[in-house]
Amino acid sequence: MSDFNPVTLFYILHESLGSWLWVLLALAFVLLAGIVSGFVKLRRAGRTVARPMLAAIAVGLIAAAVFTFAVPIWTLADTGALGAPVDYVIAFVLALIPGAVVASLVFMLAARRRPMPDGASFG
Amino acid sequence: MKRRAFLAGAGTLMASGFTADAVSAQSSTSRARVVIAGAGAAGLALASRLRRQMENATIILIDGKKAHHFQPGYTLVGAGLWRPEDVTEANAAYVPVGVEWIEQAVAEFDPAANAVITASGQRVPYDFLFVATGLKLDYQAVEGMDAGLIGKEGITSIYAGPTEAAASAAAIDRFIEVGGVGLFGRPQTEMKCAGAPLKITFITDDKARRRNRRGGVKLIYNAHNPALFAVPPVHEKVKSLFAARDIATNYNHVLKAIDPGTKEATYATPGGDVRLRYDFIHVVPPMRAPDAVRKSPLAWQSGPLAADGWVEAEKATLRHPRFSNVFAVGDVAGVPRGKTAASVKWQVPVVVDNLIAETAGRTPTATYNGYTSCPMVTAYGKAMLIEFDYDGKLVPSFPFIPPLEELWVSWLIEEKGLKGAYRAMLRGRA
Repeated sequence: MSDFNPVTLFYILHESLGSWLWVLLALAFVLLAGIVSGFVKLRRAGRTVARPMLAAIAVGLIAAAVFTFAVPIWTLADTGALGAPVDYVIAFVLALIPGAVVASLVFMLAARRRPMPDGASFG
Repeated sequence: MKRRAFLAGAGTLMASGFTADAVSAQSSTSRARVVIAGAGAAGLALASRLRRQMENATIILIDGKKAHHFQPGYTLVGAGLWRPEDVTEANAAYVPVGVEWIEQAVAEFDPAANAVITASGQRVPYDFLFVATGLKLDYQAVEGMDAGLIGKEGITSIYAGPTEAAASAAAIDRFIEVGGVGLFGRPQTEMKCAGAPLKITFITDDKARRRNRRGGVKLIYNAHNPALFAVPPVHEKVKSLFAARDIATNYNHVLKAIDPGTKEATYATPGGDVRLRYDFIHVVPPMRAPDAVRKSPLAWQSGPLAADGWVEAEKATLRHPRFSNVFAVGDVAGVPRGKTAASVKWQVPVVVDNLIAETAGRTPTATYNGYTSCPMVTAYGKAMLIEFDYDGKLVPSFPFIPPLEELWVSWLIEEKGLKGAYRAMLRGRA
């Protein structure tokens, strides 16, 4: 594993994904910008960041859990291919990518919502 | 303060990554004339690294082949999952700027005069020579066999090329549909990707099971010696998997002839020739050094690697013991193991680092331990990530991936990881 330094990993990813790497990086940048903008909006409105953040993490994790079972299909295998714990862990790690996209979108939407009346819970 | 500490840590991490790359990227200002014979995986990876690390050198690549094939993907083409286009690219896309490419085959090596002669008779002198010609698939050595038969009459072979691998996938489907006896095996010679004959056996078995046709096919694997794989723990594992999947095994069976008319295969065994009837056969041809290498003084002159003409090389440095300015890399190297792209990935930095050191006046110290790797596909979606060295010792790269377990994560590496790593290797970046 000593051979897998960040530079090598970048080139492997670049050769694997081709121009899609830049599309994905651009998407990541847009989502990051959306998250930062959400933070700023919440701060300016004097609202807590914790609730939208927790909601985003919860929804993102659920999405990742669902995507975990779809990851084998992306590798031309079927969902039953997952067997050992390491399979599930790696599939979940990969599923965190779409999970993070979903979480980012949830956070951005939550940050845009109007403040809820006192006593109402975020949901 | 915490933020500052985090940034410092991240910076250190990044720096360690860049440093690791920089250490292996020593350079030389030498104006040497370096010739690379062969533009396959080894030749292109060499060209990329040498161009970057020896910017004043003249680097010449000699090969008449225009197409470049990602050969580790042939198994997945044979499995019917990938298309031939998925493993076919152009060599031109990987020849680095500043490398002269002579688009001709190498016809002759003249190491005594430090020259290579091309098919058109052009004499190309060198200060240093890298022999990376790949190997020759000798289908004709099996009597009655011809590469043109692949895909017809139940004859298959994923080794001949992407088109033939795709034709083999279609033949596997027909065999499963119709049923009968399927024969598999490997040649007695040294061979590239020794796991592939086992992989295609497992794939055929799994495909038949998925179509509820396993009862209609009998699968027999004919090993060329008393083992299914050269590494004992892998042999034991494959043996147990074959037994569990009702794949019969014959040991010491070497394919010597096939008769497409009567569908009979003849095997040389210690007890004499044995004939087996088949409805389907996967032929792995004997493999040898290309004729230009085999007939040259570079080939082993005696010993087990002499008969097939592999280039004589010291196994730790891949340097020729009689012609010290010659190195052998990739399939053509006459070393005990290492006829895989994974081996090339580890061989190339060793020979490049040693040449850089030598031309920069330092003592070459890099060594190759015989590392090779075989993601052994055992079913659709399952593989064992087997990596081992010259001593047959298992040397897993990832501590969390047990080499003898059938895992989806190993399949993930085979199906999604290898091609990107291979391309990065061709560009000298992995």
